[in-house]
Amino acid sequence: MNFQTSTVISEEIIDEIIGKYQNKPGFLLSVLEEIQEKNPLKYLPAETLQTVAAKLNVPYSQIYGVVTFYSFFNLRPQGKHTIVVCRGTACHTKGSKQLLNEIGHSFGMNHQDDNSEASFTTADNQFTVRTVACFGQCAQSPVVEVDGKIYSYLNSQKLLKILENVKKNGFQKNSSIVKSR
Amino acid sequence: MKIIINHQPVDVKEGITVMEACRTVGIDIPSLCFLKDVSENASCGVCVVEVKGARSLLRSCITKVTDGMEILTASPRVREARKVNVELILANHPQDCLQCDRNLNCELQSLAFQLGIKESRFVRTRKKYFPQDETSLSLVRDPEKCILCGRCVAVCNEMQTVNAIDFSGRGLNTRISTFFDKGLGATYCTNCGQCSLVCPTGAITEKSYVQQVWQEIHNPDKVVLIQTAPAVRVGIGEAMGMPYGSLVTGQMVAGLRRLGFSKIFDTNFAADLTIMEEANELMQRIHQNGVLPMITSCSPGWIKFAEHFFPSSLSHLSTCKSPQQMFGAIAKTFYAEQTGIDPRKIVVVSVMPCTAKKYEARRPEMDDAFHYWKEKLQLSENEHFFDVDYALTTRELARMFKESGIDFQHLPSEDFDQPLGVSTGAGTIFGVTGGVMEAALRTAYETMTGRQLKDVEFLSVRGMKGIKEAEIDLNGTKIKVAVAHTLKNARFLLEQIQNGISPYTFVEIMTCPGGCLGGGGQPIPTNFEIREKRAASIYREDEHKKIRKSHENPEIQYLYEHFLEKPLGEKSHHLLHTHYVERGC
Repeated sequence: MNFQTSTVISEEIIDEIIGKYQNKPGFLLSVLEEIQEKNPLKYLPAETLQTVAAKLNVPYSQIYGVVTFYSFFNLRPQGKHTIVVCRGTACHTKGSKQLLNEIGHSFGMNHQDDNSEASFTTADNQFTVRTVACFGQCAQSPVVEVDGKIYSYLNSQKLLKILENVKKNGFQKNSSIVKSR
Repeated sequence: MKIIINHQPVDVKEGITVMEACRTVGIDIPSLCFLKDVSENASCGVCVVEVKGARSLLRSCITKVTDGMEILTASPRVREARKVNVELILANHPQDCLQCDRNLNCELQSLAFQLGIKESRFVRTRKKYFPQDETSLSLVRDPEKCILCGRCVAVCNEMQTVNAIDFSGRGLNTRISTFFDKGLGATYCTNCGQCSLVCPTGAITEKSYVQQVWQEIHNPDKVVLIQTAPAVRVGIGEAMGMPYGSLVTGQMVAGLRRLGFSKIFDTNFAADLTIMEEANELMQRIHQNGVLPMITSCSPGWIKFAEHFFPSSLSHLSTCKSPQQMFGAIAKTFYAEQTGIDPRKIVVVSVMPCTAKKYEARRPEMDDAFHYWKEKLQLSENEHFFDVDYALTTRELARMFKESGIDFQHLPSEDFDQPLGVSTGAGTIFGVTGGVMEAALRTAYETMTGRQLKDVEFLSVRGMKGIKEAEIDLNGTKIKVAVAHTLKNARFLLEQIQNGISPYTFVEIMTCPGGCLGGGGQPIPTNFEIREKRAASIYREDEHKKIRKSHENPEIQYLYEHFLEKPLGEKSHHLLHTHYVERGC
């Protein structure tokens, strides 16, 4: 995990973001959201949270309470690709639990955790699999979101095909990000 | 204002809550989260009452009375709701009461009994099992036993302004945790233990050393000395079934002797010693333009608080060790020399009203007796020992008394052993907020003016007000002093110092409300009414002491004549004074 040190957002950037939102209601959330966006691994490392806490005069324990309350915030590095499986009631009755397990298997993960808010990331940091309570797409259940795009009426075969594609194109996409920098 | 409680018309004050109104007519509404002056989260749902015209049951802890309100506190609907709410809490609570530290002194347990809960109808909903937090040297947290009432968060954040813990997670994952769940030991927790006093269950308890102390007592190669802090004698009786604030010094000594400790000594002796050093340090700072105000350093929670939050003001702290640590250092040097006991064989156990004392005893620099003997006895590092080996809380001592079947209430009154058990009234009042200040003033006044103090009682520094002030005339030099208890009040005085506007020469700070008698290691419950009773007992003991000024303690005078030579001298410097660490946050 030697890339972690390079993903700590610099103090200047944090200052800039804080300056933008300061004194607006709920600005702690906006600040944390933008800082997470700026992080190439889309997460909030402990060091970053400590810096923000010190600058905003918010106790560490409280800022930790905020980031663990909202599932939007990540405390671990996220993969290049994000797969979000809907675990709402409608999707559940249409077999979303099995879809989640199959994704796990296809990445060689041993997804035993019953916790519905679990997320896991592959060792090579290519994929993060998360769940969500509901996408509001119940009519098309079960649904899975891959890199921001919603796939509906999924079954195992369709899902595996999508994952194959992502895996294949994933590395191209990755290199294109590198180029665009 | 007229209201109706259980069909009876009642006249109550305006603006009070339904819970308070009910209490005025002798109806005690149960609650697991509400705690007067501490927290009003309205999270447990146990205090519900039925109010005519209201659609749902109302939480009496936060509902204010209104004119003509008709309240039912024990209707079938109310009793059923309370029962279900407690049953739901119990669904996620371990059923291991017999092994719990708080067995027979647990609010959840007594409430379940009171409400007549006889079966567990609901299954556990929490999927995860939270691990215990054993990272702290003073406290153990067991989130499995936590019912999320939020009292600990309230005392930590509001009363102490430490913010070591807070709610984190959501839904079934909600828990009380430290930053990144790293554990109390990794945070700026000051170990004050106020959280353990207010916890309604066994989710926060002190780290216990009872088993280790039993082993030492029964080890024939060891000489086990015990020292008892001033506030223990007004607390331990409560834990043994006596009225709040019972003054039981003599019985406590008798009980300790029956437990098998070799010598029963008194931390009050070391408190007198602390005064000798601290009063002289204060006079030296005044005369030599030293850093002022000087702040007392007896309360280890306050020390760690200052090290974390005010590292730039550490030079204001008196360099004097706390009485506990002075005792350990003197016991393993002076006392060992006088009696010819090998210091390696001496085990110093202290009974404290405090959880932070456990941490203090393990601070790496608290091993001055070892260094004193290191060259003389050619000690190797393997033989390293601390000045104080074990610090027990008042609650742990009560457990030992109970384990050994001592009938505490009927013990005869016995005296402490000589010489480290001889103390004055000035030592006793260390246990109450303002006491260290008063004790120091008694000695500083007489030393500086050369005149005898007519009235030894400085009433202006007594009482439960958060910050107390007084002006003292020391032979023409007028000094302003302040006394604060709780870390919130300490923070206020420290901010004054940081901003350069502190008008004081001498400041006393105690971590816990009421001072040590309200400490985190005292019997449960400890609330403000109980604190007042304990304070009265402390002042009563002081009043009845023959000697009430530390410098008149004959054993202290002997100690200086035959060992230490003089206050702030070379030996004092090595054994009785310390330094502080900038910890930051």
